[in-house]
Amino acid sequence: MNGSYWSKVFTIAKDEWRYWLRSKLAISVLTVGLLLTLSSVIVTAINTHQLAEARASLQHDAEHRFAEQPDRHPHRMVHYGHYAFRTPSPLSMLDPGVDSYTGNSIFLEGHRQNSAMFADHRQGTALTSLGSLSPAFIVQVLAPLLLLLIGYSSISRERESKTLTFILSQGTSFFTVLQGKGLALLSVVGLIMLPMLGSGVIAVSQGESIAIVSSFFVGYAVYLLIWVLLILVLSSVFSKNSDSFTTLAFSWILLCIVMPRIASSTAANTVPAAGKLETDFAVLAELRQLGDGHNSADPAFAKLKASLLAQYDVATIEELPVNFKGIVAGASEAKLTSVLNRFAEQRMANELAQTEVSRGFGWLSPMVAIRSFSMITANTGIEIHHRFMRETETLRFDFVQALNKLHAEKLSYQDDANRGKSLKDARKARVSAENWRVLNAFKFQGDSANIRLSRSVMATLQLLIWAFGLCVLIRIIGKRVQ
Amino acid sequence: MKTQNKIAIEADSLSIKINNDDIVKDLSFQVKSGEIYALLGGNGAGKSTTLKTLLGFHTPTSGKAIVDGHIVSDHLAAVRNKMAYLPEAAALYPHLTARENVQYFLSLADIEKSDSEINTAFDCVALQSSAWERQMQNYSKGMRQKTAIALALLREAPIFLLDEPTSGLDPVAIDEFNQLLCELASTGATIFMVTHDVYGACQVADRIGLLRNGELVGEFSSSEGSQINTEEVHAAFAQGLPA
Repeated sequence: MNGSYWSKVFTIAKDEWRYWLRSKLAISVLTVGLLLTLSSVIVTAINTHQLAEARASLQHDAEHRFAEQPDRHPHRMVHYGHYAFRTPSPLSMLDPGVDSYTGNSIFLEGHRQNSAMFADHRQGTALTSLGSLSPAFIVQVLAPLLLLLIGYSSISRERESKTLTFILSQGTSFFTVLQGKGLALLSVVGLIMLPMLGSGVIAVSQGESIAIVSSFFVGYAVYLLIWVLLILVLSSVFSKNSDSFTTLAFSWILLCIVMPRIASSTAANTVPAAGKLETDFAVLAELRQLGDGHNSADPAFAKLKASLLAQYDVATIEELPVNFKGIVAGASEAKLTSVLNRFAEQRMANELAQTEVSRGFGWLSPMVAIRSFSMITANTGIEIHHRFMRETETLRFDFVQALNKLHAEKLSYQDDANRGKSLKDARKARVSAENWRVLNAFKFQGDSANIRLSRSVMATLQLLIWAFGLCVLIRIIGKRVQ
Repeated sequence: MKTQNKIAIEADSLSIKINNDDIVKDLSFQVKSGEIYALLGGNGAGKSTTLKTLLGFHTPTSGKAIVDGHIVSDHLAAVRNKMAYLPEAAALYPHLTARENVQYFLSLADIEKSDSEINTAFDCVALQSSAWERQMQNYSKGMRQKTAIALALLREAPIFLLDEPTSGLDPVAIDEFNQLLCELASTGATIFMVTHDVYGACQVADRIGLLRNGELVGEFSSSEGSQINTEEVHAAFAQGLPA
């Protein structure tokens, strides 16, 4: 292929742009699409920046407030609780992923594992959850529609008006025509991605790995290339504009709207998961058997009591060198946490299995493939949410147990047992505020670049196979049409 | 100046089947350089299929289509570069002006022409200058045809393939067009046209091949200084028409 060959390709691409610029529909679609992308990138970037700052500040405030609590009974601090916030990853300004659905903060307290809160979509109405115009949504769903609207007639228009025959009769090959039209559509892809590149630079400046940001954009470029190729294939196959438009519109509905829903439904049906209410009842039933950690006289702790008395060779709990109530609280918390963790792990395993089933649909829909790739790469996938839940649970367990240890070691059993008798006794059953520095500073970090890249292998393969298959198809069509 | 030595176009026992229908059967003819050859026939006679086979859009079932000494299907790009094709309805872009259309197709053919050369070509085909910079969506068929001819002239191709070139043109435009063809042929260009216009063909062609049901049923030649006998051709043409 020499310079003259490529100059033909550029000439065809340039003429396609001239056609778009002189067509009201094409220019309207292009303008609306680009404005939408640009505004979404700006709005989401500002929003994410504000969220990151707010969550970091709230995290600091929560830790500060906890440490600033006055002298108290340690178990009151267990119930005072603490908040943990998940700061958004740098690339979440392009793809918020599950962040909007799963919640981004959690209240940590004794004896309970709370769900994450403040999910934008959970708080919004059904209508607003549909209207989430993140840059990822725009590129995954709306950009193919935009490409389709301006590109559906790329080849069929030339066939319908017989200009294709005229071009070919001039000695230009059909493959050159396809390349020229493809180049024009790819330049639109470049325009769509341009505002996103700005966010990519910001993400790198915020510490995101260059390899990740690059692969994020390459992934999206491959995804939009798939649509360009699909548009060219279907526009080449049909000789009427109406036929190519209908088929492309149907393909878009199938690949971008229907297939993701089928993926979710299939995932839910193949990996059935117990509902929240059902799980809550099952957890409660198990927890009842563990005994009440607030009541050291509960028969469930008789064995613990006997072993402690034997260990310290004393006859009564009053003689123990440690506060039996604190020991019971700690033991109860450990048992309870073990039950809660088992249910939580089961739920997360189910969610992950469902996600894997859903991600498998990327072989059938490039939109599902890019959605998985994007969330994994941007550190906004379900795995990150699970890690957040596990890390916050560790944080919760550690500080609750640290308080229980204080309860056992810094407060005598007598003082503790008498704390309800009078105000004076209540004051005696307090622990100095100096001891509240039991909290570990919580700073949530996303998965490393390597983990994300290896996790995104399947989605990458799905995208590459789609692109490769369509390239082969284009080459065959290019050779068959003379 | 007509050279008429070299064979510019040749159909050698050409047969073409489309969807199992025999469209062209064992067709053989030769067109010499500088000659105007009209392939005459009624609807469905196989004229356009023959022309499209010469352009490489159809592959012969048997036989050969040869242009400028090359078998078309084997040397498609080289053959197409030698030819200027004028379709029945000039397929140009309505969103472009006449000049932009010409420039676009020339650049695809890797030919550079200055604005003044393009203007000369437009003048040559009598396309009024007020239309040169107008988008073609409101052009008449005659104006589109003239633009396409101007493009063909600018390509300086030695061979012209014309598909029903005067169909839809008014009588004045037909006369102008026929005159232009004669001028082109006088410069040594080979012109192969398919038409059902007996009178037009007799007026300009050096030779006429009569095609009926895909077979060449007769050839008529002009003699030095005189046109082909229209009545003779018309009678032969009418024989094949349904009563």
